[in-house]
Amino acid sequence: MSSASSAADQTVSDFIARGATGPLPRHYGDALVAAARKDPRIVALCADLPGPTETDLFQAELPDRYFEAGIAEANMIGMAAGFARMGQIPFVHSFCVFVTRRAYDQVANQVAYPKLPVKIVGFLPGLTTMLGVSHQAIDDVALMRALPNMTVIEPSGPEQLAGAVTAALETPGPVYLRMLRGDAASAGIAPKPLLRTGEVLRRGPHGTIFASGLSVAAALEAAETLAKDGSDVSVVNIATVKPLDTALVVELAKSTGIVVAAENHSIIGGLGSAVAETLMEAGVPAGFARVGIQDTFAEGGTTPYLQAKYGLGAKDIVAAYGRAAAQRHAIEKGRA
Amino acid sequence: MTKQETRARERQPAPRITDVTELKRIAQELRRQVVRLVAPTGQGYVQQGLGAADLFTAMFFSELRLDPADPAWPDRDRFLLSTAHNTAIFYATLAARGCLPEASLADYCKDGSPLEINASERIGPLIEATCGSLGQGLSVAVGMAMALRHQKRDARVHVILGDGEMQEGQVWEAALMAGARKLSNLCLILDYNRMQVGGHVDNVVGLEPVADKFQSFGFRVETIDGNDMDAVVGAFARARAHSEAPTCIVADTLVGKGAPSLEGILGHNMKLPADLAARALKELAGAGA
Repeated sequence: MSSASSAADQTVSDFIARGATGPLPRHYGDALVAAARKDPRIVALCADLPGPTETDLFQAELPDRYFEAGIAEANMIGMAAGFARMGQIPFVHSFCVFVTRRAYDQVANQVAYPKLPVKIVGFLPGLTTMLGVSHQAIDDVALMRALPNMTVIEPSGPEQLAGAVTAALETPGPVYLRMLRGDAASAGIAPKPLLRTGEVLRRGPHGTIFASGLSVAAALEAAETLAKDGSDVSVVNIATVKPLDTALVVELAKSTGIVVAAENHSIIGGLGSAVAETLMEAGVPAGFARVGIQDTFAEGGTTPYLQAKYGLGAKDIVAAYGRAAAQRHAIEKGRA
Repeated sequence: MTKQETRARERQPAPRITDVTELKRIAQELRRQVVRLVAPTGQGYVQQGLGAADLFTAMFFSELRLDPADPAWPDRDRFLLSTAHNTAIFYATLAARGCLPEASLADYCKDGSPLEINASERIGPLIEATCGSLGQGLSVAVGMAMALRHQKRDARVHVILGDGEMQEGQVWEAALMAGARKLSNLCLILDYNRMQVGGHVDNVVGLEPVADKFQSFGFRVETIDGNDMDAVVGAFARARAHSEAPTCIVADTLVGKGAPSLEGILGHNMKLPADLAARALKELAGAGA
């Protein structure tokens, strides 16, 4: 197009191309298409978000297995149940908040109760969007954890997005995938399998940080800081939040005595709650602190701003370790 | 070819009954069964059951392709009761069609029994989805209809919705989808008995003009007397023959139909004491076929 052409000559594509910063890698979307090519039972449903949920390639490559649900998440979940009852394996897509909170009763009755192989895929976990409270899933893990028969999976980063597809397919029943798209810098990143057990990323005797999603990177950074101060801690990636690897949680809590749980989610009902429930019932007297959204709604903003303002960063994990260590010290003192 | 595939090829679904006089006789017997099921415990929905007896009879004895000996037959027509609670007539019909042991009806609504007051898939594959949280059945039916089309199967999906249930927004999300995708293998039956918990539908939140609403959503719509067996059987057949759009049958039904002492009484959770039950049974024995 010549520079002299008027606005009227330009197509929508021209405008989009001018505003784009280059396509994001499609770690999840490509893996889903690859899986669907192998397994004809896989279908994709999407509530008008093919780009943001990385299902645009699926739509282009396997159009007869892509079902656009429109902006109607409750109906989409019901439709997915219908597909599953006909022998298909539906992956349903929207933002985390809409496939969980908005369609909760439908997920409970039509997916979780009948144990159907519906894979519920949400994007924009926790505080990762400028779109504000309406689009921020701060309670989705709590909601999905509370449903019987539901498996809850959150990859640690772009390296586990493809692995999430494999994990979802290896799980026979309903699965909730809590996904965050990789940025442009993550293109070509080597994929890592997503484990059902806790994945020990770093071993240290002085404490354990259990983390999921975005908080895994923050936990590793916090561990570096703590090491400089003389505390050598373990870091565990909990990609499968439910069912939780309780054996590992108990083992490391017992052996290290200080436990921090960190997540990009409310402190109520998510990973921190799951770890606390496990430790209390096991009778493990560890020092314990949670890092997460402190029972508050947030606001729209960039991810680094939100993660810092709402206390989800590496320095918050370091501070939480300090609180847990002090508590541990008090427990020991009480015993003596 | 495996044995199972051979069996599927040779399968003959249960024969459809086309004689309307016989269907009316069955409906009358099912009405008596509804009273007998509900009377002992006062649990169950008698008024709705009597009102929908003709719809259920036509559905299971005339319309649906099914094999009582193999309820999970993949090529069966699917039937969903979205409200889930109208089970006295649903279970009575399943038992009469040979899809449930008659003896199991003795456990209706008893603790521990799979025959819960709201139909649950604990019963088996003929409960195609566990509904009861109102407004969800049509969405599942739409998904099934789309999957059947994707799989190039000719089975159909029928779903009965209650009138009060139309107040749920999800129904209209699903209706929009069914119309937009022209799901001609889907038949929605509105059991329009005018009754919900709070009384007459019009006194809660009226639906009219409901036929026009479905038409505007892309459905082929028929309004019929849902207690006229000829009309019900004819409407199902026309729905089956139509290949351009989903069908919505607005079936006007009368609560308590067949027992004059109960007809028209808008009692959603009505109990049926022994004397009233005896009178209703007497009325039902004398009337109908």
